[in-house]
Amino acid sequence: MRPDAHLTCRLCGQDHRPIDLAPGEKALCTRCDAVLATGKRFGPDTALVFSVTGLILALPAAFLPFISAGKLGDERVSHLFTGVESFWGNEMQWVAVLIFLCGGLLPVALLAALAVLHAPAFFGWQPVAIRLLSRSAHHLEHWAFPEVQVLAVLVALMKLGSLVDVTIGPGFWFYCAMSLCLLVAQHSFDFEPLPPVQSTAGARAETSAP
Amino acid sequence: MSQTPSRFQFKSPSTAAALALAAAVMLVPANFLPVLSTETPGRDRNDTIFSGALELWRHGLWAIALIVFTASILIPVLKLLGLGWLLLSVRRGPPRDSRRLTRIYAALDFIGRWSMLDVFLAAFLTGLVQFGEFSTVQARSGIVAFAAAVVLTVLSTQAFDPRILWTPSPPVSPKEASP
Repeated sequence: MRPDAHLTCRLCGQDHRPIDLAPGEKALCTRCDAVLATGKRFGPDTALVFSVTGLILALPAAFLPFISAGKLGDERVSHLFTGVESFWGNEMQWVAVLIFLCGGLLPVALLAALAVLHAPAFFGWQPVAIRLLSRSAHHLEHWAFPEVQVLAVLVALMKLGSLVDVTIGPGFWFYCAMSLCLLVAQHSFDFEPLPPVQSTAGARAETSAP
Repeated sequence: MSQTPSRFQFKSPSTAAALALAAAVMLVPANFLPVLSTETPGRDRNDTIFSGALELWRHGLWAIALIVFTASILIPVLKLLGLGWLLLSVRRGPPRDSRRLTRIYAALDFIGRWSMLDVFLAAFLTGLVQFGEFSTVQARSGIVAFAAAVVLTVLSTQAFDPRILWTPSPPVSPKEASP
């Protein structure tokens, strides 16, 4: 462990000396009570496992049918980006770009950033640009909203019930699973600059005793 | 006498205030202009955010109506009020209730994303319901203003640095909380 390792609260800026955490235990900021770090319930590689799984699930989510709707013999199949295409064609290009980013590209970018951040510790590689990746992941977190898109689709399904006949396609289930993986991976990552490879094998260094 | 122009800082109360004000302005057309139009045989209607939620309520979909109302009307308003409170507290000097204000900031940061619900909903409906004369849903200009308001509130929250609610202090060991 690095002797200078410390946890800085993102909300109040208070510096803390690291401590050991049992699985499920949380380290709270002494000043504002924000959660600084959580003891990993499923081991130190949780974030890597879920981020890689999320990346794999993103492919079928993007290309398989999301929802199909039928009315009077006419059927229409919607994919993840059908709404984006519709907005783009309706002279609302910037809203289309926003939906594409928040619901498609940025969640995948966040999953990729989390995977790249945790892969060196798992494979014993030399970490590269950890601080930059960690900051990028933190910023991406504010703009990746797949869970909101899932809720929107569920609301739409309820709304469409009386208007058309709807069938949920496999793409939607893959997207739900990807969103869940992203949530777990995010929850397992403390958005602190990670310590060197040697320190992350076993317990996370930023939660070790000083 | 010449003055050196100050460098623009994204994370500052003035930037947060400007973005929050812009978001408040955008919320006016967002709530008064139609966001969706639905064309079905014998019935064409334009819906604003509020009338859309009200229609769901009238059809007995109370839970969905409440979700839409909360995400699209309540959250943006609460977020702007909360940001205004934080900005006023900072303006008055070092606040005494820093802990409470920090919790409010954390809550605002968390709830902001859910306002995107209506934008995703409109995108999904306009993409799927295109059955010509039988049933068609189209996005209207209100959704553009609403999306702008959501983006501006998210940016405003990011521009507000909650650390200014506190004065610096030396490193300590964090508290432990059981799961």
